[in-house]
Amino acid sequence: MNAVGPALAAVGGLAVAGALAGGLAPARVRPLAAGLCTAGLGAAGVVAGAAALGGARYGVWLPGLLPLAGVRLAVDPLSGLFMAVTGAVTVAVAVYGVGYASPGGGMHGGRGPGDEDAAGSAGGRHAGSDAHEPRDALAAGGGDHGVRSRGAQAVGPVFAGAMVLVPAAGSVSTFLLLWELMALASLLLVLAEHRERPTVRSAGLWYAVMTHLGLVLLLVGLALFAARAGGESFAALRAGAGGMPAGVRGTVFVMTALAFTSKAGLAPLHAWLPRAHPEAPSHVSALMSAAMVNLGVYGLLRVGFDLLGGGPAWWWLLLMGAGALSAVYGILQAAMASDLKRLLAYSTSENLGLVVLGTGAAGLFRAAGDRPLAALALAAALLHVVNHAAFKALLFCAAGSVLRATGLRDLDRLGGLRARMPVTAGLFALGALGAVALPPGNGFVSEWLLLQALVHGLAVPGAAAAVVLPVAVAVIALSAGLAAAVFVKALGVGFFARPRSAGAGRAVESPPAMLAGMALLAACCAALALVPGALGPALTRAVRAAGVGTEKPLADGELGVHLAHTSAALHPLWVALALVAGTAAVAGLARLPARRRARRRDARLWDCGGGAPTARMAYTATSFAEPLQRVFDDVLAPEQDVDVTPVRESAYLVERVRFQRLVPDRIEHRLYRPLLAAVSGLADRARGLGGGSVHLYLGYGLFGLVAVLAALVVGW
Amino acid sequence: MGGLLRKIRGTGRVAEAAPPRPEADPLPAARELGGSVQVRCVDAGSCNGCEIEIGNAFGPVYDAERYGVRLVASPRHADVALVTGPVTRNMAEPLRRTVAAMPQPAIVVAVGDCALDCGEFAGGYGVEGSVVDMVSVDVSVPGCPPEPAAIVTALRTLTGR
Repeated sequence: MNAVGPALAAVGGLAVAGALAGGLAPARVRPLAAGLCTAGLGAAGVVAGAAALGGARYGVWLPGLLPLAGVRLAVDPLSGLFMAVTGAVTVAVAVYGVGYASPGGGMHGGRGPGDEDAAGSAGGRHAGSDAHEPRDALAAGGGDHGVRSRGAQAVGPVFAGAMVLVPAAGSVSTFLLLWELMALASLLLVLAEHRERPTVRSAGLWYAVMTHLGLVLLLVGLALFAARAGGESFAALRAGAGGMPAGVRGTVFVMTALAFTSKAGLAPLHAWLPRAHPEAPSHVSALMSAAMVNLGVYGLLRVGFDLLGGGPAWWWLLLMGAGALSAVYGILQAAMASDLKRLLAYSTSENLGLVVLGTGAAGLFRAAGDRPLAALALAAALLHVVNHAAFKALLFCAAGSVLRATGLRDLDRLGGLRARMPVTAGLFALGALGAVALPPGNGFVSEWLLLQALVHGLAVPGAAAAVVLPVAVAVIALSAGLAAAVFVKALGVGFFARPRSAGAGRAVESPPAMLAGMALLAACCAALALVPGALGPALTRAVRAAGVGTEKPLADGELGVHLAHTSAALHPLWVALALVAGTAAVAGLARLPARRRARRRDARLWDCGGGAPTARMAYTATSFAEPLQRVFDDVLAPEQDVDVTPVRESAYLVERVRFQRLVPDRIEHRLYRPLLAAVSGLADRARGLGGGSVHLYLGYGLFGLVAVLAALVVGW
Repeated sequence: MGGLLRKIRGTGRVAEAAPPRPEADPLPAARELGGSVQVRCVDAGSCNGCEIEIGNAFGPVYDAERYGVRLVASPRHADVALVTGPVTRNMAEPLRRTVAAMPQPAIVVAVGDCALDCGEFAGGYGVEGSVVDMVSVDVSVPGCPPEPAAIVTALRTLTGR
């Protein structure tokens, strides 16, 4: 009995049911109904994915469901892995989303204790109840905008369902349809809070334009592929790919890779990601950052390895370059960011960069004929996809809890949350541990595997490998080091010390539904960190399905990770136990002298006679990042502006000093700004063509038709 | 560099010969310091005459450091507070906090007549009282201002060297 089919049907059915529930249910039960449907859909996705990872294959053609092409689904272990990851993230985030959309919290209701004295304090503008009360009442009653609105609640399940189903697509038309459904649904969700902040609109515009440029590239690339292969089902593409000339194969790969890397948020096509992910409601950010970007990787693997059947080394060097660039660039920008969600979005760019680096390495090894090593690199990349999904969903959910409780995303104004939101702080710390790629976090295991693959890859012949692989190792090391600084900043500045604004001071712990969702993700992180070896057989099947290697990259049946073809082995469980024992021993030793000398004296904090230190004297995120900014000054090119205004009587008496510093996204500055200027210049000039004369327009039509006919005659 | 070395050679030793060790027994509290005394200066409202003499006491001629006394920058590091001047209103609380911030045993040395009885400034509108009125004083050095040698002698009773 194949469980994949019924599970996929359940995903589709629950997506429709969730959309109906979100659109029709009364406002009081709306988030619960839509959330339950979404969670059920995610669970069905996990079931389908697990069955596929267990070796079940499934294919079906439903010609009646869609005119002309019909819907074709095909599931193998590779799709299964991505379906399972997406489904698992969806379950946890759906549970979290029920709490997130419930009334209350500093951002929506402003019902924290001590609201009366909010006026005039630093955070009062954001979290004060005066400005939000009328709108909040409106949202609770009619629900015409925001996370709780009919629209957002109805689109949520559709988005989740489309994401779970994208890897199940078995033909070009089905794939593109689901892909576009996912993009449009996520766009609507990004725009959910457009009335609260004007930045949401600009983020939505960027996202809409970039995702649709990606769709155009994908459409053209896959249409070209299907036309040359003589069929649009994936089986036909697989069969036809071998006979295609190298130029066409290369064109197809580059076009689809551009679209897929843009979806995965890789530099230089990342510009939408740090805009759209922070501005979306936080549970949507979690879904986008932990599940949707993965599908870009899925597309790369499906088209590059499976459908095109691999390719020459330059394809993969291209991918490795993009991956390395966005790994370093993403984490550098994250180090500079003081917006918590923006920081997490750039960290997504970094982690997907590492995944694509691993994918590129797998392709390079495969092109060089070293199949076992290729399988290892791809297994490492896939494991990192799983790990990143777990910790990034957790981090975005925790950031959403902070946002909901304080109304703030700016790390410079947060602080003191460890005492006020202890559970959220602990969960964020767990996610951050995964993200810094240090033991005993879950990110460590996959980055270690990736490094193993790259270091052993030095034996691969060829000048390219000899140059690229050491650089890639250095890139991973640098990004891991910077990631430690980034997450020390996020956790230390955001959660420890004293609150730096009234909003942060008023924070209260999140409702149980949100904590439950985050606890699920935290459990996944812990399991992945302690017993990653349990995923070994599933990874092996997924790698085999991608057509990279038939060998086992990891030895089966072990709690630790043993590489099958080299002697390397890692036991994360023992590492974690040793760390816990070591920490306990050090803590115990530190207590010993204190116990011996029991005489203690309570004294006032020494403040150098300057009065009690205030929260404004504490380290901020910006000051924490300052040394790093100085080190990477040439790369980041920060813009600094000091404006000194003297009093009228004397140039030596300063009335006001205004200091402004901005770390712009340099790629965006150099690449997008000239491009946008050129496009709008062209558009301005094109305006001259429309003179208002009907005769002119008829003339354009005639010349256009003649040109097309001439091109057809000459070209075909 | 060469100029500096030449200057050192040309100047030679300017420190005066060490006077004999003071006969008085060191304070019981100072005994646990073992001959190494860290000193924090507090100007509680002095005319700065005493500060000049303290500066000379730690200068090359009197060189108090050779007896184991060292100036430090925070009361958290200090064993001894060297307080000068009549205690003004604004310095009364900081002085108490400074002494409270020092590790036990906190020894207070009052330097100059003002520190002992407000001297010239007694009865001034901004004067709160003498150091003796604010904190418990262990050693006092009279004089207006006291000579550096007197300050060094008082500190040597603490180091015992």
